[in-house]
Amino acid sequence: MKFQKELKDSIRKALPELDVVIGWCGSFDPLHATPHFIRREEDIDKLEIGPLSVHNLATYLPGLRSKKVGIVVKGCDSRSVIELLQEKLIDRENVTIFGFPCTGVVDQAKIKKALGHVGNVQSCDISDKSVVVVVGDQAHSLKLSEMLADKCHSCRYPDAIISDYFVGDKIGDAVPAKADYEALETFEKLSIPERFGYWLKELDRCIRCYACRNACPLCVCRDHCAAESRDPHWLSQENNVRDKLMFQVIHAYHLAGRCTECGECQRACPVDIPVLMLKQQMNKEIRDIFKYEAGVDPEATPPLLSFKMEEENITEKDW
Amino acid sequence: MKIGVFVCHCGSNIEATVDTAAVAAAAREFPGVVFATDTMYTCSEPGQDEIVDAIKEHNLGGVVVASCTPRMHEQTFRRTVERAGLNKYLFEMANIREHVSWIGKDREANTNKSVDLVRMATEKLLRNRALHPKKFTINKRVLIIGGGVAGIQAALDCADGGLEVVMVEKTSTIGGKMAKLDKTFPTVDCSSCILGPRMVDVAQHPNITLYAYSEIEEIKGYVGNFEIKVKKKATYVDWKNCTGCGICMEKCPSKKATDTFNEEIGKTTAINIPFPQAIPKKAKIDPAFCTMLKKGKCGICAKVCPSGCIDYEMKDEFITEKVGAIVTATGFDLFDWTVYGEYGGGRYPDVITSLQYERMLSASGPTGGHIKRPSDGKEPKNVVFIQCVGSRDKSVGRPYCTGFCCMYTAKQAILTKDHLPQSQSYVFYMDIRATGKLYDEFTRRAMEEYDTNYIRGRVSMIYPKGDKLLVRGADTLMGTQVEVDADLVVLAVGAESSAGASELAEKLRISYDSYGFYMEGHPKLKPVETNTAGVYLAGACQGPKDIPSSVGQGSAAAAKVLGLFSKDQLESDPQVSIVDIKRCIGCGKCIQTCPFGAIKEIDFRGMVKADVIETICQGCGICTSTCPQGAVQLQHATDNQILSEVNALCQF
Repeated sequence: MKFQKELKDSIRKALPELDVVIGWCGSFDPLHATPHFIRREEDIDKLEIGPLSVHNLATYLPGLRSKKVGIVVKGCDSRSVIELLQEKLIDRENVTIFGFPCTGVVDQAKIKKALGHVGNVQSCDISDKSVVVVVGDQAHSLKLSEMLADKCHSCRYPDAIISDYFVGDKIGDAVPAKADYEALETFEKLSIPERFGYWLKELDRCIRCYACRNACPLCVCRDHCAAESRDPHWLSQENNVRDKLMFQVIHAYHLAGRCTECGECQRACPVDIPVLMLKQQMNKEIRDIFKYEAGVDPEATPPLLSFKMEEENITEKDW
Repeated sequence: MKIGVFVCHCGSNIEATVDTAAVAAAAREFPGVVFATDTMYTCSEPGQDEIVDAIKEHNLGGVVVASCTPRMHEQTFRRTVERAGLNKYLFEMANIREHVSWIGKDREANTNKSVDLVRMATEKLLRNRALHPKKFTINKRVLIIGGGVAGIQAALDCADGGLEVVMVEKTSTIGGKMAKLDKTFPTVDCSSCILGPRMVDVAQHPNITLYAYSEIEEIKGYVGNFEIKVKKKATYVDWKNCTGCGICMEKCPSKKATDTFNEEIGKTTAINIPFPQAIPKKAKIDPAFCTMLKKGKCGICAKVCPSGCIDYEMKDEFITEKVGAIVTATGFDLFDWTVYGEYGGGRYPDVITSLQYERMLSASGPTGGHIKRPSDGKEPKNVVFIQCVGSRDKSVGRPYCTGFCCMYTAKQAILTKDHLPQSQSYVFYMDIRATGKLYDEFTRRAMEEYDTNYIRGRVSMIYPKGDKLLVRGADTLMGTQVEVDADLVVLAVGAESSAGASELAEKLRISYDSYGFYMEGHPKLKPVETNTAGVYLAGACQGPKDIPSSVGQGSAAAAKVLGLFSKDQLESDPQVSIVDIKRCIGCGKCIQTCPFGAIKEIDFRGMVKADVIETICQGCGICTSTCPQGAVQLQHATDNQILSEVNALCQF
């Protein structure tokens, strides 16, 4: 990436004041990136940003609250940082934010689907238009636009909304190619039994690994998640779809008006359950009722985390 | 836990559509239930004795009563189980009357639903724990908000009962709406002659501190220990030294100030005392009209004041008062009748409100008690009264009956004849509502002895005709149209909640209805209580009321306060939220959402945690639904208790 050097220079400048800077670097194969924790100057050179920088690194911030942390963010990741700031789960003075203009990240599930079996990846070259993956001496050329994550198609904030260092030229607020909740609105047209049947079918394969929760930057209850507690005892440890569905409902409710739809829950799911849609459903309701969008204004209060005697759009008196 | 279940017939209220014996039989199969029976009236003395005996005989650890709403008898049965030695929270109620027998006729379906409700209650009871209230000391002072007749009565009764009273009145004098009235129905007593001495009593009572021209800025705390911030608005007159001599009023050159006391029938001076019997009888400057305050020139009042108490630099002052109870007596205001285009919408000077007419009738009013048309000062001959202006009218959003307009209209018709024997009064009415003692006799007198022409029908149009007003309406009894050449039209404008009622309600944390009237604790059994402990209601702030009802409520509220203060310590309700400190991650979401400010941040071994101030917590449960990990739990309605009820009902 053209501004990668610029980014490294910024990190080099800031690092002496920081305990750690979190970015991305190469991983076990050329098709994947992994979170990279820069503690020493020599770690900086391994930093790589680009369409493989899929992880929302804001997930690490609450756990590192007592440290001076630098974080590299995409536009969508910056919204999670804002949300954490709003909820006072991190302290602004302890976080140094490095932003860059993001042109989209890949969806590994789409690549996997396009390639069929992903074996030993020999190389992966990503240009503006294409992704060329060499697997078993055979080169596969895929269109980058088709491999991008769904959220990138409806992205409105490609630049980090909040940053201390911004490298590269800002793209500016993008006009999204797709409407926010296109897929959701199609789904909503189904009948209630059809929708319920869909979720029972999808969630039946859930293995209750809670990767969705652990990847979520806003799941901040740490060891006290309602999923694994006896008091309150919301969920049993039985292997049934009822409790699996209940957990997803709890997760979606806890994120209502807080979720920035970074999609980490769905990306982390090892069995590809489309759990993001549940959160989108809640956010759509919040948007309609409260005219509110999460993770845009660090000074705002999520509507469900405040108390008002009279809500503007909930007219109890007319019931 | 061994559970006993009692299914009540409530005479035939429940038994008629629910097979209570079958419900009891089904209950015997539920986990924990060792005894179940159906009884005729569980709340009666033999019914309660049966519960006490069963607890002893079967060694019960908890009791379920399936009967009416808990709002009716939960307290009753809690006392019953307590009498038998159980903790009163080891009791649950299943509402099979309001929720079942009264709303459905299908006996089989009703019986099944009752069984479900009893199953839910027993499942919850199995998870109930004994709860114990804490005791706290109380401050035996009372705040009265509003100095109308209801507030005056409450203040005097409390003060006579030995309590220290703080009264806060928005305007510069107490007396409220009653002080503006000329006479009162049905005795035609002089209003200020009967109210005046009471107002003087307030001023002179050693136990009463009066803050006139003041408003409530902020209310903190809880029953027994409220902290009130009172805003004393700047009067620009030092009230300590003002003798109320009135020389400033005589000399003030700015004579166009709004005369709110006289309902704007006339004008007053920028520095004024609203009326001769005002309590406190002190002058205040209306800054909107004072030349000195507006332009920095004049200063005549300061020159003429014999005690030198004019202070143009005066600022609003804030005072903190600590009290243990609050009586809200903020009264009512008049509906803005100008929305009625058919009555001229405010364009015709000779269409006035009943309260303006009242000021005109009063000897201390701007016309000295002479009835004069505002337009030309002539005595009217034909006076038309129109009732239900902003009452019983859905089209203007006022479907309720104000209740006292029929009576004061009759009184005003009688007084009109007394003042002007040659005059003729007409009253357009919908129905005559004269249900008080001697009230119907009074309206009859207006018709029969004072020759008032009562026309049953609405007025469709008022328009000027020469120097008169033509009033056109229907006479629905005769089935004809009526036209009256009126010299003066008096509108019986209905009551609405006082300006700022909802803002005050939010400070007091009490609820109000869609019209802004404050909600009583129970429409029948708690007419002067609110659902916020230690806050009581008196008078028309709860709904339109005439003088005797307002006075009655003032005394009732005082009796409630005296009863509350008869103890030195109060017990706090243990149904409050409690934070499980090991599960709390200190995110503070509960602090943000608590409507009562009952949760504070504490430092626990260097970690931020939330902590509930039990005496402030009202047990609403918003914190428990906010806390994602369930670290805050509302006692007696914990997540696990609610989940057990849901699981008992919803089989997945």
